[in-house]
Amino acid sequence: MLAQALPHTDQPPWVRKVLLSHEGVLAVLLVAETVVFSFLGRNFWGAQNSGEMVRLSAEIGLLALAMTPVIVTGGIDLSVGSLMGLSAVLFGKLWRDAHLPIAVAALATLGIGALCGLLNATLITRLRIPPLIVTLGSFSLFRGLAEGITSATDNFTNFPERFLFLGQGYFFGGVPAQGPIFLAAAVAFWLLLHRTAVGRSLYAIGFSAEGARHAGIPVERRLGLVYLLSGLTASLAAIVYVSHNGQAKADAGTGYELRAITAVVLGGTSIFGGRGRILGTLLGLWAIVVLQQGLLLSDGPAELAGILVGVLLIVAIAANRLLRKGE
Amino acid sequence: MRILGLMLGAALLALVGCDKASGGGGPTASGKQITVAMMPKSKGNAYFIACKKGADEAAKELGVKLIWDGPTDPDPAGQNAIVDGWITRGVDVIAVAVENREGMSSVLKKARAKGIKVVTWDADTTADAREVFVNQATPDGIAKTLVDHAARLLGGKGEYAIITASLTAGNMVEWQKAIDKYNKEKFPDLKMVALRPCDDKQKQAFDEANNILNAHKTCKLLMAICSPAMPGAAEAVEQSGRTDVKVIGLGLPNDNKVFVKKGITEAVVLWKTADLGYLAVQAAVAVHKGTLKAGDKTFSGGRLQNLEFQGDNLLLGIPFTFDKTNIDGFDF
Repeated sequence: MLAQALPHTDQPPWVRKVLLSHEGVLAVLLVAETVVFSFLGRNFWGAQNSGEMVRLSAEIGLLALAMTPVIVTGGIDLSVGSLMGLSAVLFGKLWRDAHLPIAVAALATLGIGALCGLLNATLITRLRIPPLIVTLGSFSLFRGLAEGITSATDNFTNFPERFLFLGQGYFFGGVPAQGPIFLAAAVAFWLLLHRTAVGRSLYAIGFSAEGARHAGIPVERRLGLVYLLSGLTASLAAIVYVSHNGQAKADAGTGYELRAITAVVLGGTSIFGGRGRILGTLLGLWAIVVLQQGLLLSDGPAELAGILVGVLLIVAIAANRLLRKGE
Repeated sequence: MRILGLMLGAALLALVGCDKASGGGGPTASGKQITVAMMPKSKGNAYFIACKKGADEAAKELGVKLIWDGPTDPDPAGQNAIVDGWITRGVDVIAVAVENREGMSSVLKKARAKGIKVVTWDADTTADAREVFVNQATPDGIAKTLVDHAARLLGGKGEYAIITASLTAGNMVEWQKAIDKYNKEKFPDLKMVALRPCDDKQKQAFDEANNILNAHKTCKLLMAICSPAMPGAAEAVEQSGRTDVKVIGLGLPNDNKVFVKKGITEAVVLWKTADLGYLAVQAAVAVHKGTLKAGDKTFSGGRLQNLEFQGDNLLLGIPFTFDKTNIDGFDF
């Protein structure tokens, strides 16, 4: 398949275009990784592992999906990993200590996540503090609250089987239960970003917030929406995480914000805003997950994953730059 | 959209490939080399690195493939993800030092459901998620070793004080009770005069040890039963200049080497970490072969013979004492 797809001059122009796009480069990388690990890894090539990789990537994937519109507006949300910790702990508290039914506790947790996102948004839009600084503050604040509530030691466990299915169960014997959640979130964010006027306005804001304001776009409300969605998605990721691991502790999601940002940036979204696509984010995410899982299944040292993800990021971005120069 | 087409093509190819790898997680066919996947709480910890030495030794003796992997820092989610990977990869037996009892339980049950045998070592998960727990030390074994040392150093009678981590932590309370029981049974003239918590902090152990030395002039022995307390107590004894007071306790050789050499600390009690790793691999392989089951009475594996069980816990045996004659041979 790879050989056929190489850019020959006699091929239709769209093949060239696809291969020269950032997503095209990533897709080739992804196929290359898949081929390599199919040979090196045990049971890498197959449905079971595909399912496991979906499971492995669901939490960070959710964060990355919500991070894409944030970065498209030229912003950043560093607080999502910490918000996962806070959401996990509050979810555990609501369920175990407040004796709420698990579904009600989950809904309340989503509400809290949205509120936390709104807090970020308010500080960014009303007080005009740069997103990096606001979310660096809430990064510390949310984790601190999570640790404070539990004295950093309390651990919520023994969740009902019904709930654990969400993170550990399978549909039709092979599709991880979090798969449909992730798919729904991916479709929702794709529609928002690429098929609505709101989505288009986010790109305009990313290019120039002032310009967008002059063009009559309600910049504050749009920014409010993306940070609110980011918070909401972080708490959804937390619920999936708790169900997946069977425990809710203050350390949930530590470092996930950077992994999500890596996936987004690897996916071709410009950190300066104005450019980026959901498909790119998905490809970036999978390029990282395939690499990590592939190394694990070929008994490679886990530390190598960190190095290779770094190399991958730099190579992909450099390739993107070089290809764009040629245009 | 065209890229989507490309991806769809790749996905289709992946699906075609499914048949080849179906039934991936199951045990390998008999006759093939056994793969043991073994996990420490964290890879960087010197204690676990010392355990790995024994694990490697046992793997070599038994001719099995040993995969050693774990999170860099103690992290239940990290342990989970790696075990999940091992299930997909298809290993024969998994041996885990569990960071979080409940947090690991469901993924280990999933492994068992796929036909992979599971043992735990160093720290246990819930009993229904593994075959056996390789237990390095029981409260009774620890208590006996410590009190015997105390009695030997004090000549069978006198006063001693305990510095513990906390007055509420489960294992600490268990150990302290076992010490009290064995002491009263065997050495009625040996008397504990103080029990102080140090919150697992060396500085606080130092302060508590000072208080004890001042308040109980006739107390000749400090027994520190958590690892930060040992060097803390020894430091306090050294600074007080009291050469008649000795320190014993549970700790790591490296923390206490200087004090052992100065003659302040007489006995550092722990287990041979290499033996723990060795036994974990021996037990894992035996469980896989079916020669070791929960409910057995004794187990022999390689150089460790006739080890006893307590319920479904396989016991490493009585703890080991590091003192000035042997402590230089250990580095953890």
